[in-house]
Amino acid sequence: MARQDHNRYEKARIIGARALQVSYGAPVLVDSEQTEPILVAAEEYDAGALPFTVIRGQQ
Amino acid sequence: MAANDIQVVVEGSDLPRRLKDKLYETLDAKGIDDVETATDVKEAVEERYLDTRVDPLDPVGTVSAQSIGEPGTQMTMNTFHYAGVAEIDVTQGLPRLIELVDARKTPDTPMMTVHVDPEFVQERLDAENDDGYTERDVAHEIVWQIEATRILALGDVSTNVADMLVRIDLNEETLDERWPTVGTTAEVTAEIAETIESKLDVSTVEPDDATIEFGPEEPSYRGLLQLVEELREIVFKGIDDVSRVVIRKEQTEDPDTDDEEFVLYTEGSAFGKVLDIDGVDASRTTCNNIHEIYRQLGVEAARETIINETMNTLEEQGLGDVNIRHLMLVADMMTNPGTIESIGRHGISGNKDSVLARAAFEVTVNHLLDAAIHGEVDDLDGVTENVIVGKPIKLGTGDVTLRMGSRPDTESESAD
Repeated sequence: MARQDHNRYEKARIIGARALQVSYGAPVLVDSEQTEPILVAAEEYDAGALPFTVIRGQQ
Repeated sequence: MAANDIQVVVEGSDLPRRLKDKLYETLDAKGIDDVETATDVKEAVEERYLDTRVDPLDPVGTVSAQSIGEPGTQMTMNTFHYAGVAEIDVTQGLPRLIELVDARKTPDTPMMTVHVDPEFVQERLDAENDDGYTERDVAHEIVWQIEATRILALGDVSTNVADMLVRIDLNEETLDERWPTVGTTAEVTAEIAETIESKLDVSTVEPDDATIEFGPEEPSYRGLLQLVEELREIVFKGIDDVSRVVIRKEQTEDPDTDDEEFVLYTEGSAFGKVLDIDGVDASRTTCNNIHEIYRQLGVEAARETIINETMNTLEEQGLGDVNIRHLMLVADMMTNPGTIESIGRHGISGNKDSVLARAAFEVTVNHLLDAAIHGEVDDLDGVTENVIVGKPIKLGTGDVTLRMGSRPDTESESAD
């Protein structure tokens, strides 16, 4: 299972979606010092902990 | 052997042709011939290339519009008059850019750049086999086949009211110059007289080698003046639409030699006719009227011309740092249907599928009214429509679909 490469829009969309979940109280998937949901989400993204898939039409 | 390996490495990369060639050039210049170093270089170039490519979902059209629009605001509103090549008046700056983008049927200042076929020059030189006959003479022969010759350029026209005659005193030197391949003055005079007879429906007499006389059939003062009027309009030689030709001697495109050749610049254009003239190098001759290029050479050539003309217009204004890809996008949009379409009400913007997009552009009420009458449906595919109805647009983050789960085919609920 190869990790998807994301362009900047996909990355922004993923982090945005995840930040929303975190702000609603979702359990955080990495150890983080951050308190801002968006920064937590960014750390999770960098750690590769987010289980999102981008659907890109035919693939 | 090593050269071959390097070729395998470079050709196996994801680079476009231009970069591959440049890579070969650089490897060669730096004297790199071991495969390992070459592979490293190739990988670095490839990575950089892939990084610089436009991301999917990038709003390229908007970026192009801004990249051309901003420098456009710095262009002089009105600059023309003898600023181009060879003392020919060429429309420049903003008016020229507008003209190109509007895809006007005829530009304000139509112009052609005519190259002379070097093979033809050599053939003519061999045929004449005369020391006094030079390349310049060959170029002149072509010039006079292009530039329209009217009677006022050839001699003096006078009217003799008493005898009801129009008298033309031809200038022998001019005749020699403009009909270089015809033997004697008398022959040229005869040719001119013949043209006058057929065009004006009169009979002419030639009192001597360089004089032509004729008059109206019925003696009438008005008839006489009318004849003179019509006489001035007759084109004896050359192409009607070309009023002037300027010759320049220029360096050939081959940078390795110091060879020079003659290039002709014309005021007025008739691209199709010029291409038919013997000795014109059709592969290098161009014209600044995109429609003429389209008619003679097809859409791809028209696209190329739009790119070149817009780029040159910007460069002349010192705005050459606009990336050519923006202009390519514009040219692609204009020629995409296989014909040339203007940008604006009568072209691309006015022919959009979406009613809302058209209404947002110009004449809002008419578009909405017509759409209502014809029961048009808007699929809300474009950006403008979705901005109007307040939905996320299909660009950037607005067009990323997320699913929970690590594989695209895993069934799971939506992320949001």
